Amino acid sequence: MTWNFLEQDPSAATYDAIVVGSGATGGWAAKHLAEAGVKVALLEAGRAVSPTEFTEHTPAYKLKYRDHSPEILRTRPIQKQCYACMEYNYEWFVNDLENPYSTPPDKPFTWQRLRVLGGRSLVWGRQSYRMSDNDFKAASRDGYGDNWPISYADLSPYYDIVEKYVGITGAAEGNEMLPDGQFLPPMKMSCGEVLLRERVKAKFGRTVTIGRAAVLTQNHNGRSACHYCGPCERGCRTFSYFSSPFTTVADAQNSGNCTLITNAVVSHVNMDNAQNKANGVTYVDRLTRQVKEVRGKSVILCAQALESTRILLNSSTREYSKGLANSSGALGHYLMDHVVGGGASGNLPNMKERPDANEPQRPNGIYIPRFRNTPSSKRHSQFIRGYGYQGSGGAAFNFGAEGYGTSFKGAVKEGVYSVGLGAFGESLARWDNYIEIDNNLKDAWGIPALRISMTHGDNETALMDDAASQAAEMLEAAGARDIKVQARVEMPGMAIHELGTARMGNDPKKSVLNAFNQTHDVKNLFVMDGASFVSSACQNPTLSMMAVTVRACTHLVERFKGGEV
Amino acid sequence: MKRRDLLRAGVLTGAVAALQPPRSIAHATAQGSSAPSELTPAQRGIDASKDLGAPGWKPLFLDEHQNETLIALSDLIIPATDTPGAKDALVNRYIDLVLAADTHENQKSFLNNLAYLDGESIRRYKAAFRYVSREDQDDLLHGLAYPNGGSGWTGEAVTDPGHTHFEQLKTRIGVAYYNSQIGTRELGWDGAFAHGPYEGCTHPEGNHK
Repeated sequence: MTWNFLEQDPSAATYDAIVVGSGATGGWAAKHLAEAGVKVALLEAGRAVSPTEFTEHTPAYKLKYRDHSPEILRTRPIQKQCYACMEYNYEWFVNDLENPYSTPPDKPFTWQRLRVLGGRSLVWGRQSYRMSDNDFKAASRDGYGDNWPISYADLSPYYDIVEKYVGITGAAEGNEMLPDGQFLPPMKMSCGEVLLRERVKAKFGRTVTIGRAAVLTQNHNGRSACHYCGPCERGCRTFSYFSSPFTTVADAQNSGNCTLITNAVVSHVNMDNAQNKANGVTYVDRLTRQVKEVRGKSVILCAQALESTRILLNSSTREYSKGLANSSGALGHYLMDHVVGGGASGNLPNMKERPDANEPQRPNGIYIPRFRNTPSSKRHSQFIRGYGYQGSGGAAFNFGAEGYGTSFKGAVKEGVYSVGLGAFGESLARWDNYIEIDNNLKDAWGIPALRISMTHGDNETALMDDAASQAAEMLEAAGARDIKVQARVEMPGMAIHELGTARMGNDPKKSVLNAFNQTHDVKNLFVMDGASFVSSACQNPTLSMMAVTVRACTHLVERFKGGEV
Repeated sequence: MKRRDLLRAGVLTGAVAALQPPRSIAHATAQGSSAPSELTPAQRGIDASKDLGAPGWKPLFLDEHQNETLIALSDLIIPATDTPGAKDALVNRYIDLVLAADTHENQKSFLNNLAYLDGESIRRYKAAFRYVSREDQDDLLHGLAYPNGGSGWTGEAVTDPGHTHFEQLKTRIGVAYYNSQIGTRELGWDGAFAHGPYEGCTHPEGNHK
């Protein structure tokens, strides 16, 4: 790629570390390094965000379309597929017209993302689960794929650090598949959820636990406990759920060692080819379209799995003609996203509780950890790995009541007590799920866009089939009626848990990164986000991504101290 | 004061105190102020709740006949009882606003729904829906809502096209009503945002059968 009008960053400073991306992982990288005395430039493609634009306390009737805006589809037809992209906050999400990507016609993929300080940490689902050695060493157990180059023992101390800072509400269960962590007091279950927990334990020996979530149940680290208003994805004035701008990024800036550069759309990493070292990044100013450069002694990509790899693919040099740090050829491959679409829902007619518009809105649900192919269960004949469920139970207004008129109006308020479970299944790491540069497609800043090729396979389909029937059986055990079973496989991307494409590994011929997220090929170049994952497990990945980042940064700080960078 | 009210007051005090962002956050957001065009109207604090009640309102998408038909229909679907109904909530004006910005496909679908209603009314009562008696309107809707004595809610498959038209119109009206200010009052919302903490099940273990 050639760039005209290249100009140096006016400050002309050389930073110790350039962190690209200010979301969950980039925030941690900036905080950890800056607080250790490393001079950091933190680049964010979007604008800054202010608490004054939070809308969690705005009722829908104040909105022009009462949160049913048909206008969003014009600029965000893909983003609108995300539950959290709404009339309240759609400007946080990327404009699909400005940020295109392509897929083969028979392989749809939905890529839901934000470009604003904090990225998806502003709207994330907040579910926070540890992975275990059943995940890190899964290949040893069933022979599929590769183990991680790190074990649970390697990551456990960093889970502790992240959880203590972020504040994770949850209950310890001693489950073999879901290690306990440093929990704030758990949120409460509804009556229907308690019933489900008791029946499922009695009949199946399985655990139904309250969700583990990055939401405060007591004041913590200068942030206030949750006030249970409900819609976290519109922002939180009390900063009760974890988002990076008001925690890690703020800490990084307060250290005095972090320069935040917003509206910096990074196109590629710059190389000193003679020394085989990265020496900075080039970015396009999102508003002025000016091309600028930032120089640094190390480059850390935390731009989101696909974006980080896109930057590397767009950074080809004569030495690295198939993408920077891609001597293995693995860059772009092993794309994963949890498979979703299997589950069941039903009603609990014995529950007498009525819906209450003034009931506190718990921003959390229940969770059933994986129970298939565990150390204590038989190996399943139809699939490897497994799935976990998120769900909830409670009284709700019955907007789907039959009929019309006075009886309908009454039935809506009478409500219905429903309970539901939806599975998140492991997405197997496969070479033929990959991203590449589409040479015929550029974004609004002239940066070559991605072509994404991904399908879920037979194993994922079998997981969702089993998840549907098991959910129905568990709901039935709880006495549910009118059970509706769903055994679909949603299109990849729907879980919004994209992982892989620059995976870790001990073998430089088969992986892009080493166990400390450093590229095998270029020693001062790092990828510290979900791109580094070797396998997806079935747990929501953000907590693990943050722990991996902190571990990698801890190692990097040691190397700075030793003068190796 | 009930315990719950105390909790509510406590939480609200905490919430208000926290409305002042810590200094670090003010610092974090000082750089790179955002252009107003990059905020949604809601994020800019625009209150559109009074717009539809403005005097001199005229439909943007519907013609007069369609608008009057929708008013009559909405009044039957969600009537005023001891609380206001869909007509009071101006759901016709809201639906017209949405339709004006909606896809051509959705616009067409909605007009087909209304046309079906008129078609059935003319077939049965020799006049368009808005012109027949309230009794006849009710009779017609009943047939569409409960085809062959079943509604589909109890499990049997419903393929009646009239039922589909009815359900689509009812969904539009329901969304419009229950998301209006009148609709949120109908559901009993007291206008406060913090009712926490969530207390959940307080029964003894093994209580639920």
